[in-house]
Amino acid sequence: MVTDTAKLEAFRKEVRAWLRANLPKGWGTPEYKAPDPFSKEAHELGKWWQKKLYEAGYTGFGYPPEYGGIVRPPEEIAIIREELARHGTPPGPQSLGLLVAAPALLAHGQEWQKKRFIPKILSGEESWAEYFSEPNAGSDIANIQTTAVKDGDEWVINGQKIWTSMWEFADFGLIACKSDPNAPRHRNLTCFIVDCHSPGLTKLPLRQMTGNAEFGEEYFDNVRVPDKNRVGEVNQGWAVVLTALMSERSGGGAFWGGGAAAIAGAFTRLAAVRAVVDLAKETRRFGKVVWDDPVFRQKIAQMAIEAEAMRCSGQRMVARMRKGWRPTNEASIVKNFQAEMRVRNGDIIMEIIGAYSQLNRDSKRALNNGDWVYQMLRARGATIEMGTSEVNRNIIAERILGLPR
Amino acid sequence: MEWALTEEQEMLKTMARDFMEKECTRSHVRAMMEDEVGYSPELWKKMAELGWLGLIFPEQFGGQAMTFRDLTILCEEMGRSLLPSPFISTVILCGLPILFAGSEQQKKEYLSKIAEGKATFALAVLEEDGDFWPGGIKMRAEQRGNEYILNGTKMFVWDAKAADYFLLAARTRSSRDPEDGITLFIVDAKEWGVYVSPLNNIDMLRKQSDVVFTNVPVPAENIVGEVHKGWEPLKRMSLYATAALCAEMVGCGEKVLDMTVTYAKERVAYGVVIGSFQAIKHKCADMLSGLEYARSLMEWACLALSEDSPEAPLAVSMAKAYCGDVCKKVCDEGVQIHGGIGFSWEHDMHLYFKRVRTNDTAFGSSTFHRELVAQMLE
Ligand SMILES: Cc1cc2nc3c(=O)[nH]c(=O)nc-3n(C[C@H](O)[C@H](O)[C@H](O)COP(=O)(O)OP(=O)(O)OC[C@H]3O[C@@H](n4cnc5c(N)ncnc54)[C@H](O)[C@@H]3O)c2cc1C
Repeated sequence: MVTDTAKLEAFRKEVRAWLRANLPKGWGTPEYKAPDPFSKEAHELGKWWQKKLYEAGYTGFGYPPEYGGIVRPPEEIAIIREELARHGTPPGPQSLGLLVAAPALLAHGQEWQKKRFIPKILSGEESWAEYFSEPNAGSDIANIQTTAVKDGDEWVINGQKIWTSMWEFADFGLIACKSDPNAPRHRNLTCFIVDCHSPGLTKLPLRQMTGNAEFGEEYFDNVRVPDKNRVGEVNQGWAVVLTALMSERSGGGAFWGGGAAAIAGAFTRLAAVRAVVDLAKETRRFGKVVWDDPVFRQKIAQMAIEAEAMRCSGQRMVARMRKGWRPTNEASIVKNFQAEMRVRNGDIIMEIIGAYSQLNRDSKRALNNGDWVYQMLRARGATIEMGTSEVNRNIIAERILGLPR
Repeated sequence: MEWALTEEQEMLKTMARDFMEKECTRSHVRAMMEDEVGYSPELWKKMAELGWLGLIFPEQFGGQAMTFRDLTILCEEMGRSLLPSPFISTVILCGLPILFAGSEQQKKEYLSKIAEGKATFALAVLEEDGDFWPGGIKMRAEQRGNEYILNGTKMFVWDAKAADYFLLAARTRSSRDPEDGITLFIVDAKEWGVYVSPLNNIDMLRKQSDVVFTNVPVPAENIVGEVHKGWEPLKRMSLYATAALCAEMVGCGEKVLDMTVTYAKERVAYGVVIGSFQAIKHKCADMLSGLEYARSLMEWACLALSEDSPEAPLAVSMAKAYCGDVCKKVCDEGVQIHGGIGFSWEHDMHLYFKRVRTNDTAFGSSTFHRELVAQMLE
């Protein structure tokens, strides 16, 4: 055990040194000017960074090497994620490749698809969107109405998708379509890989309450997809959808990344709590230092406690996975806890900053570049995306606790 | 830190659960509620034979030299089964301070007796304000030759009727620093002038009493640790005790969830089982999620203490704050989902509810520990 610990500490040093050498110039200093979120520059920076990480062997875990996967012991993966979170790194490219497409392809894709697409997801070279939700199919995702009709060895897709995150720069989409108008629910869907530059596919931005067009909508007008792009069997698309949803809820693959992702996320949150403590020490409300107020102290301490709870739960998960346990519906517990924590934390910060909680990112008086306010607003999407809090509670109650549907 | 249970720990857990299912039946629990002393000496003997009473003591004092995390696995199971016994009082609240500060002679005598099941202990620290802090200790011990004379009342003493000995904290000198001038004594409960008067507290499986001391002489050789320096070992013990109480609370909470989900699958209203109502489902889902995070923090606290990690005080306070809030909520929902029967004396729900309340209050409630966390964030 002693040598293990020593080895791991050496490894941690190596990761730190690599980070210092490779992060963008000026990173972490006031001189560093981050590109606007959701801009093309931000996307390109994300792609550049993920490629670097991949080449260093610091991402791409959970996949077999023949599909470009990087194999490491869970302890090393945890260290890598911890260190990345601790240093704060550029966000990845605008893509649902890691969160959604790669896990779905690994579980259900054809061999050529896994070989062709997964490596470029892991390296960040190609970006993906998730075309599932529709105006009348969100929580009730089985109610998809977009149709796919077989025509020779192609399929013809017609319909509308909506609320698509990372829509703008996506190269490929994982789409779920209704392929049999007469078959019963859950046995009438088929999934495909669709090229986002296909003729007949129109993408439009949709603004969120944050003001950003982080998601978009797509119209499919006779979009043709070759049958070899089918993921899973005909009319068996529901299984693909479930894999994708479960994986995104756990933060990057319920089957391999859940625990490590929670640990890394917790480190980011702990850093955020430290920033909030500093903020509370520097801020006065009605003339009194916020950090001296017992009610605020309680709330800020609770933020720290919840972040550590998230880390510890991740540690437990990693430990159990090492012994062969595999989480599935537990992803819903993790997803709800994190989303609802974002809501609570955002609100506490708003109270601390008082009148400044009203200022948008581009206001000249915005604090912290308006990011706290943005995060408070964005948290409201967190309890809706990837299955609403209510839907996840249903899953926990029915599929984990076994209460009747 | 190893977060997965080792094979031995899995075995300990299974053994403990089987033992308690067999030995700590519902009728035993009910009998002990009404019993003045509140535990079964035969069961205590069996626990000694299993090695539980000396689990974390060194081998030379009759112990098993196992880890604190191992001990808390037992505490989880004791919470689950509501095992009525002076285990936490004897082994943790009193055993640990003796282990930390006692003389070789004292450890040899008392820890071995504890491990063999031949001595039970109760901690007599709290007084009128009911809080575990040095400023609350006002009772005086006056030196007279080679003896100290105790006069005063200790309150909220757990398992006092069951105790052969008290570990008692009293003032031996006045000082501006409240931590200074406190001395720890081992007091024989049979000593003339010791009077135990039950308090009728809500948790009838962890009975609390006033203990009145009237001119009780204690030989100086019964002082644990240094004179005037008794707070230090108590404070150190309180971290372990707090973590153990969290383990017990999580055990209670998980049992309440099991009972509640089982009931929700059976109880019919409006022609369907109540577990098919979404309002009930969502409560159950939140109970499970809350317990996942409560357990995670509790395990962190226990592991940190087992490994003597410097993060232990933070982990313990975080765990206490979180486990208290979650387990109280879990018990509230447990009562609510059971409806009328859940509010009845006959059903066990209130026993779990009350145990969680006891543990939540002991060594500071959630709000108190959140403030400690805030101080540690500075
Ligand atoms: C920021 C963001 C990003 C998104 N990104 C994507 C994406 O990339 N790709 C994609 O396909 N989709 C995406 N979505 C869509 C998202 O998955 C859906 O919005 C979500 O599943 C809810 O569906 P809905 O909007 O149709 O709401 P509805 O399903 O109509 O829900 C409305 C309300 O009813 C409640 N409700 C519904 N069913 C039940 C039930 N059975 N029990 C209890 N309550 C219920 C819901 O909880 C909610 O409160 C995104 C959404 C957001 C907010």
